[in-house]
Amino acid sequence: MTAAGRPGAGWWWLILPAFLLLVVFYVAPILQVLAISVTEPEPGLGNYERLFTSGAVQRVIVTTLRICLITTVLALLLGYAIAYAITLASPRARGWWILAVLVPLWISVLVRAFAWVTLLRRQGLVNNTLMEAGIISEPLPLVWNEFGIVVGMVHYMVPFAVLPMLASMREIDPRLLAAARGLGGSRGQVFRRVFLPLSMPGVIAAAVLVFIFTLGFYITPAILGGGKTLMVAEWIGLQILDLIRWGLGTMMATMLVVAILVTLAVFSRIVDLRRIFGAGA
Amino acid sequence: MQSFQQDCVELAMCAYRRGQVSRRGLLAGLAALGALPMTGGDALAQAVRQIVMVNWGGIANQGFGRFYGEPFMAANPGWRVVQDSTGPSAGRIRSMVESGRVTWDICDSSATSSHLLGGLNLLTKIDYGVVNRENVIGPTFALDYGAAPYSFSNVLVYDSSKFPTAPTGWADFWDLQKFPGTRLLRRDAAGALDAAQMSLGKDLANLYPLDVRASLERVRQIRRNLVFWTSGSESEQFMRTGEAVMGQIWHTRAKVLEQETNGRLKFIWNQGILQPGIMVIPRGNPAGAMAQNFLASMLANPEQQVELLKFLGNGPTNPRAAALVPEEFKRFNPTEPANARVQVAQDGRWWGENYARVNADYIDMVTG
Repeated sequence: MTAAGRPGAGWWWLILPAFLLLVVFYVAPILQVLAISVTEPEPGLGNYERLFTSGAVQRVIVTTLRICLITTVLALLLGYAIAYAITLASPRARGWWILAVLVPLWISVLVRAFAWVTLLRRQGLVNNTLMEAGIISEPLPLVWNEFGIVVGMVHYMVPFAVLPMLASMREIDPRLLAAARGLGGSRGQVFRRVFLPLSMPGVIAAAVLVFIFTLGFYITPAILGGGKTLMVAEWIGLQILDLIRWGLGTMMATMLVVAILVTLAVFSRIVDLRRIFGAGA
Repeated sequence: MQSFQQDCVELAMCAYRRGQVSRRGLLAGLAALGALPMTGGDALAQAVRQIVMVNWGGIANQGFGRFYGEPFMAANPGWRVVQDSTGPSAGRIRSMVESGRVTWDICDSSATSSHLLGGLNLLTKIDYGVVNRENVIGPTFALDYGAAPYSFSNVLVYDSSKFPTAPTGWADFWDLQKFPGTRLLRRDAAGALDAAQMSLGKDLANLYPLDVRASLERVRQIRRNLVFWTSGSESEQFMRTGEAVMGQIWHTRAKVLEQETNGRLKFIWNQGILQPGIMVIPRGNPAGAMAQNFLASMLANPEQQVELLKFLGNGPTNPRAAALVPEEFKRFNPTEPANARVQVAQDGRWWGENYARVNADYIDMVTG
């Protein structure tokens, strides 16, 4: 804003260097890579045709979407419960709660994936405990399958679900809840008809954030999937580095970018996305 | 996907940390590295030309520098060999050659990649006027677009405490009645399908071309009892923690498991899939034809290859090397005549021509 309070065109020159830097070193190379998807192996849309004709390509997409949706739903459910508890907690307890949510965020995703392997494998803590307690006689298949992947991914995504929902819940005026109770609503009614609707912007924001994050997951599925479940990111890596089918790999990368942009575009009409990503919060 | 070379490096690093690789070995390697800047000092800088050898990182820097680089430098004054540990995957070699700014001279690759990249006109043909074909034990070690100064093998490893009788080949690997329990394969068609084809009873001398459809179906039959590895340490871990009772893994990892468990986990050479550690020369490499001389020197030095066997576990490929291997290393040398005889040499040409298609089908089946 200029001193007069109007946006001055001159100020845009100040961000020009940053803009150019981004275009030259970020946008241009990405476009160059994505362009390979229409030039290889021969010019045309042959790679995109595979979206409709290749069972393998479709399976990777369906698997990825399925795992991402399950992860998003579970992370939202768990995250909502946690965010709700934090909102209602005393200020002192709230500090500890938030710390407990944030600490896992600071631990490497690799370490966490391996920790889950240790817990869930055949001779892991969970199976050993259950077998010694006589509850099961054969180890349960808890890892090297989609179950293991979902466990690892939900664990990773819960903090990302909690934070936007917490921000939105804390903006709810507690006097509204008290008023609803005063007007004769039961606890359940107050939650369903007052708290839940008011917290929905946070839920949607968290859903968008978690879903977009999970689409690009690489390490967790690679480690916990036991090689049997392939998600989009690992599939792209395989095409580019090992099979040198760059056309196909970049086609999928383009689809990933498009999927993320479309998700953002759709939900930006519903919620204020700038708030999710921290601007002006 | 982790390659065999990357895995050797990791394994050697572990061995060194556990004190299994001698301090002298490592110090000599460090000395080799430390000595390099001196020969490349200012006064000499103009006169010295270099060959860039690309490996997969870690202790391969020492191993390759010492056992491949040093002998060559001693014989060719004015040249030095430097190691680069970027990891020359087929995709990286391709992007470098296509960009027109090639800085690599010789890359630790594979038979499959050499065919793939060679077919795309991204590699220099090996000049067998310079490189001597007589210096390798078999035709699969000297290809059009690459030659192998070392070898490795995919072997059958099993938990001997789980079975009263020992498995003897891939037919037993597929026999879930006689040998119940989870199986372990690499998530890579090359190796897995060769084994599947052998389990179907095909004559080993005429194993290739593989019947892809039948082999894929064979793997599909036991899919529910399979887990898959993508890196060497992972393969070791699956066996060590009892996730799998029988598996196909690299011989270097099988050796570690056998020694560590005092023979509870055993591996057999029978029907092992012997593969060459192929070095390739990217098209337009800066050192030009000298890379061929360097490759020739790697193949021609049996003593150094045996040292590499002791250091990293890679099998020698020079026909004169086997006689130089000390008794205690023979059990673990894939090219020891007694071991090589019972293995099958993987057909890199067939795999190079079919890898992209077959591996896509394999991964599709595995993840389906």
